[in-house]
Amino acid sequence: MQLVNEGARVRVRARMRMLVRVRARVSRSAGNRGYTPFNLHYSDSSSTIKPPFLSYDPHRSAHTPLVIDNGSTSLRFGFSSSSTPQVVPNIVSKYKERKAGKQLLLFGDTIDAEGGARSQAKTPWEGDVLLNFDALEHALDYVFIHLGVDTSTVDHPVIMTERLASPLHSRALTSELMFELYSVPSLTYAVDAVLSFYHNILPTPPSSFLAASGLAISFNAASTSVIPILNGKGIMSQAKRIPWGSQQASEYLLKLIQLKYPTFSTRITAAHTNWMLHTFCEMSSDYTALLRRLRDPEQLRRVERIVQFPFVLPAADDRTEEEIARAAEKRREQGKKLQEMAAKARLDKLVQKESDLQYLTNLKERKAEETRREWQNILQSEGFNDDAALDQAIKKLEADLRRTRKKAANDGDDVMEEPPFPLVDTPDDQLDEESLKEKKKQKLLKAGFEARARARREKEKALEERAAEERKEGKERAADPSAWVARVRAEHASVMERIKERNRRKAALGDRKSAAAQARMKNIASLAADERVGKKRRKGGGEDMFGADDEDWAIYRKINTAAVSSDEEEDFTQLQAVEQKLLTHDPTFGIEQTHAALSSQRSAFMSAFRPQYVEGDVEGRARIHLSTERWRVCETWFAPSMAGVDSAGLGEVLQNVLASFSLADRGHLVQNVFLTGAPAQMPGLADRLHATLRPILPPEMPLRIVRAADPSMDAWRGMAAFAQTEEFARVGVSKAEYDEWGGERVRRWWGGNWNASVL
Amino acid sequence: MPPKGSTRKKPSAAPSTEGSATPQIPTLAEQLSILSAPRPFKNSNYTKNSSRRTKNLKAVLGQERERERVEREKRRTEREEAMEIDGAATSVMIEDDMPTYLSIEAPPSVLPQRRYCDITGLESPYTDPISGLRFHDKSIYELIKSLSASAAKEYLAARGVNPIVK
Repeated sequence: MQLVNEGARVRVRARMRMLVRVRARVSRSAGNRGYTPFNLHYSDSSSTIKPPFLSYDPHRSAHTPLVIDNGSTSLRFGFSSSSTPQVVPNIVSKYKERKAGKQLLLFGDTIDAEGGARSQAKTPWEGDVLLNFDALEHALDYVFIHLGVDTSTVDHPVIMTERLASPLHSRALTSELMFELYSVPSLTYAVDAVLSFYHNILPTPPSSFLAASGLAISFNAASTSVIPILNGKGIMSQAKRIPWGSQQASEYLLKLIQLKYPTFSTRITAAHTNWMLHTFCEMSSDYTALLRRLRDPEQLRRVERIVQFPFVLPAADDRTEEEIARAAEKRREQGKKLQEMAAKARLDKLVQKESDLQYLTNLKERKAEETRREWQNILQSEGFNDDAALDQAIKKLEADLRRTRKKAANDGDDVMEEPPFPLVDTPDDQLDEESLKEKKKQKLLKAGFEARARARREKEKALEERAAEERKEGKERAADPSAWVARVRAEHASVMERIKERNRRKAALGDRKSAAAQARMKNIASLAADERVGKKRRKGGGEDMFGADDEDWAIYRKINTAAVSSDEEEDFTQLQAVEQKLLTHDPTFGIEQTHAALSSQRSAFMSAFRPQYVEGDVEGRARIHLSTERWRVCETWFAPSMAGVDSAGLGEVLQNVLASFSLADRGHLVQNVFLTGAPAQMPGLADRLHATLRPILPPEMPLRIVRAADPSMDAWRGMAAFAQTEEFARVGVSKAEYDEWGGERVRRWWGGNWNASVL
Repeated sequence: MPPKGSTRKKPSAAPSTEGSATPQIPTLAEQLSILSAPRPFKNSNYTKNSSRRTKNLKAVLGQERERERVEREKRRTEREEAMEIDGAATSVMIEDDMPTYLSIEAPPSVLPQRRYCDITGLESPYTDPISGLRFHDKSIYELIKSLSASAAKEYLAARGVNPIVK
């Protein structure tokens, strides 16, 4: 392992441990995808914790504009006079605590304070659309509570972000909440990417923003948008949105990991993969070249990152040898005792069966003596319906007895001396009832013993034969070693060939159209046909001679594909024996030439792609190796079709957008390609965009790609800065205008949406 | 400012804590809950909009599509009327293409799709005709052959292909 890798692994381990602790009960409900709460600082040790509410005093009746960036991952809010916003995950959970039965309403990070709360969590967003207004109301409540607003209305002009070309339903209901529930005096909607652009053009005086042009690319959690900005005005009609964001990318990574590790010890969640995405994944400026480079297993190992999940080592056995021995002895004794008990029970049962059989046979003999009617009555009283039932019962008992005797003969062949069976040879009439029973028992035991002895003799004979054969072979080997090796090797090769042939045939039968499968169908058809006598046979008498030759029956084996043929097992035992011989006597035959070694061989690439750990390696089995995935996941921004999303990728969309502008305008746009939104922090993104855009532009056209100074926070800062300008008062919708127009209409301005706007 | 809930609870909680040895400390989650925080800024006369919960994503987007259609129709007739009155003059408003949530959606890709190995992500010149999986080389083909039908299906699903069972 590389040193770099080692370092990464240690860091990862520490991080994951924390991650798993914090998120012990994460659920994958739709509401909380794509959000990772790493910033939980609360601890149980302090006796009381109050949410850090701010003081409202500086803003009371000051009409300070209130700035809210309602993102699908985080909610950022604050008064425009503050330099940084409050940031909380935009997630809310209304939860009934089970112990005290109390209703709880938790927002943001605090959700993790209660174990079950996360499973009930909701966000205002459904993918890319603001849809859950109950959650939005809680979020806005949280904002105003947090800011300490204690007046009867929220008497601040509000500027709030909105999705690019937001559906009017979302806008109408948001406006309704703002104006009717919170009674704000005016409300302005802004597109986050444009305001982030605005913030990054500053601190040049705001007036110069009118001259600023650029191509803003906004990376969101559930979408990626491209917005051309010309002369300080967002050209929304040419904007495009790709339905792919970091949330989808995390889901894709999750799917890839689940496929790569189908039986992983820990349940991996989207939150885990979201973290992996942010930590390990990067854009490649030339994906094809990278893939060609990674074909080399060594290169692949070099770039891989290992995520170690928590694992539990199995408890070590710290008993002394003596103790272990004692325990084993005890176990053995117990086993013996049990065996004895079982044998006794078996014998009792056998005796019972024997006497039952005797009784029933006697009963049957009586049939001749009784009248028909009486015989019927007797049968009824014994619980049989008719003669057939009786016969069946007798037959069953006989079969049972036979089986048990046979079984008794097979096991327990270590008994050597014959115990005395004194009663066996005594005639019945010299015995009383008790002894008769005993005699029956002894008879059975004797029969079993004899059968065992026979089996033992046969076994010994077989062993002897084998030893003789081995001796013979040894002699042969000593006489001419090279000839022997050649012979055994040939044997080995032929068995291997047979196995291979069988596998090939099995594979061929899987395909309906293969020659083997067709031949099989032909065989079945001819077997099923009434007239299956061949021409030759017909000449020789016209009789069906099937079965005259034993070989004929092999056809049934041939057409049976499902059953594992006994040949196969035989072949494997033979192969094992031959390989054993070769391993011991042929120095040129190594372990790597055995069938087992050959069939379990994996290509060097596959073992670099997913290194295998041995069965007992708990630590290794709790590891995830990320190699090609590190780039594969980010590549989806440029090719969503890789993950099955039928949409043009970022490169194609950029090309389309640029193509709809004149050459001069295009020049203005590409001079300032602006990246914003949290996923814009992906390493290598700017290089990749450069590699994508440069070839489609005239060579003399300057191309500049900049990333927002703070991709996740700059939209809020831009809004805060804008809220302090004079222009801000002109672009908002006032309460009176809302009453007149309804919630859908907005004023058209450079940073806002156009849909349903009025000039 | 203390949350409203804590002041309300105090009188009832105080006697019980005096009696027991360990005072009842509210759990972390209870302390963090904002359920009982005062919300004086809310208009108590406001009633929830009825359509707030009933509409799902599909309904909202359908509504949006319908609205777009009506809008386009309206503008077309407006333009026709304007042309009837005065052949040359059309207002700026009509020229502008009004963007909507659906119209700014990126179109399907028209570029040739690159093929990648479903297992490893490498370039893949081959496709297994039985499972439909793409693979990079012989060793990965061996792996594909050993995959169960359902596993192969999952690999395909990751690429967005949902095969129809023949």
